[in-house]
Amino acid sequence: MTMTTTDPRSLSSVASGNALELRGVTKLFGALAAISDVTFSVRPGERRAVLGSNGAGKTTLFNCITGDFLPTSGTIRLFGEDVTTFPAHERIRRGLRRTYQISLLFGGLSVADNVYIACRGVSRARFSLLRPRRSDPLTARAAELMEAVRLTEVQDTLVSELSYGQQRQLEIALALAGAPRFILFDEPAAGLSPTERRDLVAILNGLPGHIGYIIIEHDMDVALRVAESVTMMHNGRVFKEGTPAEIESDPEVQELYLGDGSHSHG
Amino acid sequence: MRGFVSRNPVWSAVIVLGLAILLWLILSPWTSDMEALLGRKRLFLNALFGGITLGALYFLVASGFTLIFGLMRNVNLAHGSLYLLGGYIGFEVSERSGSWLLAFPVSFVIVAIVGMILQNQVFRRMEGEELRQTLVTIGLSVVLADLMLWWWGGQSYTIQTPDWLSGPAQVPIVVGVNRAGEATYLSYPAVRIAILLAAIVIGVLMWLVLNRSRLGMLIRAGVDDREMLAASGVRIQWVFLAVFGFGAGLAGIGGIVGGTFQSLTPGEDTRFLLASLVVVIVGGMGSIPGAALGAVIIGISEQMGLVYAPTYSVVFTFLIMVAVLAFRPQGLLGRTR
Amino acid sequence: MVQIDRSGDPLGDILNGKPAQTRPGWLVQLPLPFWAVAFLLLIMPLIANNFWLFQVFGWSFILGMIALSLMFLAGYGGMVSLIQMSVAGLAGYMVAILGTSGMAEISLNWPWWLNIPVAIGIAALFGTIVGALAVRTEGIYTIMITLAVAAAFFYFTRQNYGIFNGYTGFNRVLPPPLFGVNWRDPVPFYYLTLGCAALSLAAVTYVARSPFGLALQGVRDGPRRMAALGFNVTAHRIAAYTFASVIAAVGGILLVWQNSQISPGTVGIPVVIDILVIAVVGGVKRPIGPFIGAVIYVLLRTFSPDVLTAFGLSTERFKTLIGLGFVLIVFFSPDGVLGLWERWQARRHKRRDPLGDGGTP
Repeated sequence: MTMTTTDPRSLSSVASGNALELRGVTKLFGALAAISDVTFSVRPGERRAVLGSNGAGKTTLFNCITGDFLPTSGTIRLFGEDVTTFPAHERIRRGLRRTYQISLLFGGLSVADNVYIACRGVSRARFSLLRPRRSDPLTARAAELMEAVRLTEVQDTLVSELSYGQQRQLEIALALAGAPRFILFDEPAAGLSPTERRDLVAILNGLPGHIGYIIIEHDMDVALRVAESVTMMHNGRVFKEGTPAEIESDPEVQELYLGDGSHSHG
Repeated sequence: MRGFVSRNPVWSAVIVLGLAILLWLILSPWTSDMEALLGRKRLFLNALFGGITLGALYFLVASGFTLIFGLMRNVNLAHGSLYLLGGYIGFEVSERSGSWLLAFPVSFVIVAIVGMILQNQVFRRMEGEELRQTLVTIGLSVVLADLMLWWWGGQSYTIQTPDWLSGPAQVPIVVGVNRAGEATYLSYPAVRIAILLAAIVIGVLMWLVLNRSRLGMLIRAGVDDREMLAASGVRIQWVFLAVFGFGAGLAGIGGIVGGTFQSLTPGEDTRFLLASLVVVIVGGMGSIPGAALGAVIIGISEQMGLVYAPTYSVVFTFLIMVAVLAFRPQGLLGRTR
Repeated sequence: MVQIDRSGDPLGDILNGKPAQTRPGWLVQLPLPFWAVAFLLLIMPLIANNFWLFQVFGWSFILGMIALSLMFLAGYGGMVSLIQMSVAGLAGYMVAILGTSGMAEISLNWPWWLNIPVAIGIAALFGTIVGALAVRTEGIYTIMITLAVAAAFFYFTRQNYGIFNGYTGFNRVLPPPLFGVNWRDPVPFYYLTLGCAALSLAAVTYVARSPFGLALQGVRDGPRRMAALGFNVTAHRIAAYTFASVIAAVGGILLVWQNSQISPGTVGIPVVIDILVIAVVGGVKRPIGPFIGAVIYVLLRTFSPDVLTAFGLSTERFKTLIGLGFVLIVFFSPDGVLGLWERWQARRHKRRDPLGDGGTP
């Protein structure tokens, strides 16, 4: 809203070539500001961690970026285009994806069905009344995705019967369906065993180089191994930005976040 | 209120202007030009006051409906049947005892008990399954309608207005100036004025109970977050029972009122169920002030429609509902979730 | 989240290379009892008399189609819409108004190849608009809104004389004598309604497994997740209303032809509720459910008066019977009689083979 130019593909942001650009994003719930005046940008292919204690506004930030809520003020640009008022599905079609902290999977469908629906979501045949043919390329794509997140063996299992860790992996597969360019991971490692965390780090590091992401993560070990830059949030505001090394050694951050051991919960 | 004005200055101005015009139309004597355009003032005022009285009746019925809906998320589609049942019971009581006033407590208590039985024996067994509860109410409304038809037959009943309320009362509003140059005043059936006053009193009492008492606090907490209320150790079943009984009882009283200034026939149950639905959709689901606002709007639009465009009066009601759904799906005073 | 019934979702089969892939899916899925019933229905005119063909079966198929459109919205979309009877009624009214009827002052006498598609189109448009209003709110509000609109439609047809001819409605609305056949004769009418019902049943079954149908079921179970996958949740819901309205509209036209008249009573609230009763009693999880419900309803409706009079009760008490039956079904079997049947099958199956999987969980 504060932008001087209204052209969605304004030269400045195309020239800067950012995948995601937030300017002064604020979200009020009644009088309470969940996030206020958040401004930062992420380059294409960049992998960034957003850190902060509970209530720092990280998930609200994600909800504003994906369009689950509209921000109270501020602008959100996705690959140079102003998407601030777009509904969620329009942003998804522009290459944005997200995973959810709480499981929002189709428990009554098999793993393969879940992935197939996700592949359909961004294809043109969403409204097709005709059933898919056997040679449907999307079924091959779904198989690839399941391979990528190591779920091929359980593809016929109902999602409600999967282990918690497998459900988290499936979340990631759904986010990878279609042609994502930028993904928001909301605490993908929460509740995972050490082995599953290692798998997760391997999956994230194995993503194609052109896919950038933001990851919310309480586990610093995971966060700092998969991110090349870090944004610290505190009380709904951006508190610090820097490389993992800078953030780790920052005394203020240490005092606020690392020192009190709050990263162990969640 | 002040918040609304500062947030919506344009709408506030429109509302204030509309109310001012309405007030002027009511209070000022009409010129002959205006009468040519709008018809006789008496006609207009009769439609307006008829609409407000009808609104009062709609409010009585719909407030119980919206209270139950707000707390339990249960669309009680048997609410119209409770209305008709209350009316028939009121008719029997006032016929046999000769007392119109006695009909009210008797009808309230009996219909409230029916409502509590429904809550305790039917809905409680399907806790949290709103759709199934609603489906059951449809089945019950069919059964109740048929049983009432069996018992009371297809004829129309009117409850006798007591002597002290029958006849017209003068309202200090000028309708015209007679040849002698004296102002003539609007006369209006006294019973309707009594009904209007009673509805206002009941509405204010409900508001007070909801906003000033412990039970009201529990109910409001339950509307906001049922799980929280249940988890906090309150015996939510008692709250549900009380609300269901009260909402049903109100429908029963509504039946007496409707039977007094209209009539009781099979089919009235559907009509008042529909009225409750529309009032609640327009006013805001689960909101008592919303029910009051919606009831007055629908009542007036119905009466105005009957006077000025008799073949399309339903369309007005319908258009109001569509407009509200299109621009404010949660209803005029409903809250967004 | 609602469990999606696996047997109704062969997407898994299609994806996972199960035997369904080797033969056309629809051949494999149809069990022997289906063919038996189909055969029986085809030769029915040899067995049954005209009353059964026209009144019992014809009516069942028509009511089944209208209830099927409700089943599609409720079962796959999670939207219990009570507007389907009004959509059907509007289509019937439109055939009377645009085509030929006893009300020569109003009817436009368009040829059948024009008035039938236009009638279906108008009804589908109406259903879509009501759907667009209803999907602006969530869940249980759908029932309230669609019931209110259905009631408004009923009162409007009764009040309006210019278009809907008010209380009287239209009489002598007859099917076009295509191929020299009088389609209102019992045998042709039986096959006409059977064909339409079978087609709509097949269409719903097929579409349920198409990308659109699957997405609709996804929207039912997790609207937020579907939006995050790129689906336009609102558009899917509205499109579901359009699809369902077409089926209801065809049913409505057949209904007018069967009665040869239409009046506000055809779209009254009791009928609106009957359609819901039919769908729920039959079961809203399977497309065949509404037809089963319709047969039960028509049989009760046709023969309960005799039974009631035998007990010295008025034939009006039929409604109490229907209402109580409905309440009992909702109480004990949310999936309708089809659900009851399946549970019984599962129990029998289990008893025979303690290790086998007991049908639907």
